[in-house]
Amino acid sequence: MTHPTLAPEEPLLKVEDATIALRVGGRTMVSGVSFAVNRREVFGVVGESGSGKTLLTRTLFGLQDDARLTAGRVTFEGRTLPLEGYGAAVRGLLGHAIGYVPQDPFSSLNPSMRIGKQITEAIYLAKGWPMGAERTREAAIALMAEVGIPEPALAFDQYPDQFSGGMRQRIVFAIALSQEPKLLVADEPTTALDAITQRRVIEMMLDRSRRHGLAVILISHNLELLRQSVGRIAVLYGGQLLNIVPAADVGTHAAHPYTEALFACIPTREKALADIRSIPGEPVGAGFGTSGCAFASRCAYAEPVCLTAPLPLNAGITSGFSACLLGRGAQ
Amino acid sequence: MAGAEPLVALEGVAKSFARRLLVQNRSFALSGIDITINRGEVVGILGESGSGKSTVANIITRLTGYDSGRYLFKGRDVATLTRKESFAFKSDVQIVFQDPYGSLNPRATVQSSVMESLLLHKRELGKAERIARAGQLLEEVGLNAAWGDRYPHEFSGGQRQRVAIARALAVEPELLVCDEPLSSLDVSIQAQILELFVRMIRERNLTIVFISHDVNVVRLLCDRVYVMNQGRIVEQGQARDVLSRPQNEYTARLLEAVY
Repeated sequence: MTHPTLAPEEPLLKVEDATIALRVGGRTMVSGVSFAVNRREVFGVVGESGSGKTLLTRTLFGLQDDARLTAGRVTFEGRTLPLEGYGAAVRGLLGHAIGYVPQDPFSSLNPSMRIGKQITEAIYLAKGWPMGAERTREAAIALMAEVGIPEPALAFDQYPDQFSGGMRQRIVFAIALSQEPKLLVADEPTTALDAITQRRVIEMMLDRSRRHGLAVILISHNLELLRQSVGRIAVLYGGQLLNIVPAADVGTHAAHPYTEALFACIPTREKALADIRSIPGEPVGAGFGTSGCAFASRCAYAEPVCLTAPLPLNAGITSGFSACLLGRGAQ
Repeated sequence: MAGAEPLVALEGVAKSFARRLLVQNRSFALSGIDITINRGEVVGILGESGSGKSTVANIITRLTGYDSGRYLFKGRDVATLTRKESFAFKSDVQIVFQDPYGSLNPRATVQSSVMESLLLHKRELGKAERIARAGQLLEEVGLNAAWGDRYPHEFSGGQRQRVAIARALAVEPELLVCDEPLSSLDVSIQAQILELFVRMIRERNLTIVFISHDVNVVRLLCDRVYVMNQGRIVEQGQARDVLSRPQNEYTARLLEAVY
């Protein structure tokens, strides 16, 4: 019995105390990150460059060759993945239980293969050959229609370069969704796209999540995009998990000082110039460790304790969490 | 400024790009656009990729030519400028590019990058004055004057963008063209550079053309805006009006889409 039946409240994905180190040199880049993603939940991960958000997710889903999970526990659908041989174990889930959409739609498709073939190939891998060519083709065309590709029957025989960035990203989504995953991980899926296309692709993804009960982890540097799109947001900085906050609370309720400061940086529709406040200094890179808060050097509230005390970890994997050593943003 | 002529007037400027075999051209055509920039104004040119907004920046700075129409700078048709006037134009109009990693000479100290244009365009200044001026500029953009002997790789992206701004301001240009100056920076650093622009605009009566795809930044920073789509200007007016009550269907769609 490899798939024990789940209690309804059991999260789909549980990450406990994940620590990630580089293979060469062994430097720890991400420390003590704990969170859970529920079934049907749309979960956001935000961070500036170097925060460790991409390293964390790519390593958790077995896509980062130069880093590995050195400590922690990852449970997917009630099954704990072994730390030894973790990459291989999680890659066994990737492509059917977990779908992945990378950032750049210009390099993630095979330029010399018709897109129909690229989608049917994924369907074959998920469902096996006995489905037959004609039914697989129909399934691929239905999927292309669902992700919003116009005239999918025509598009089936075209090559990636005949499509815009937005359409290519929809094709990548079609491939990721072809296996009917339980969890979709999308790493900055719209960063390379224009505003109008970006909104359409995000809305297509959210619509799919609502209609099929798909859980989504959406990784972005754009806090405002996440605020409007997801349920909860995990905030990473310097390789530390600083905050897990309901998206609706960002900008309206107290949150971790970094979350508040990051939100104050963003010109949104509602803000005047006076509402925009930058954060002094430069972002620290990942690999800060867990002694002291990585944000302390830029934080308006910092006290001496913030530089040295051990960073609070989300040991209880509660739905909301603030790592602030001064207790700011605690639920 | 009563009756003053505009600093920049583009009249029916059009440009097309030949599609040649094996040549991938990433520039975008313009069809007969009119733009005026008055002294002391901050004018936004807003558009998505492929709208032609960077082509406009390149035409205004004369980094690229145009096929038809007229470009008047301080009332003079730039096509008729003499060699000497063309040289002066280069100090009158300065540009800040998107990518501060590509726009600074990696082999020159930031001080010499800032001083280089002084050497060409402010020949009356002695060496000590140039160095002092470079130091002042670095301080003004929020860097330490003592960092002048460092090289670009020793700075972060945001600091490099500050150096690029100091360099552009060194010759006291009449017009500063900024082509997506925030786009390649981190969120917290974007806000820092935005604050720097706000301060410079207040303190230095600059005339700025601000090219951007970011609706909210243009709304907050610019007096007037031109909205571009597919090589055409689809809407123009006071930034606050256009970007809160758009009249054009494309502008409305764009505003609805931005997060």
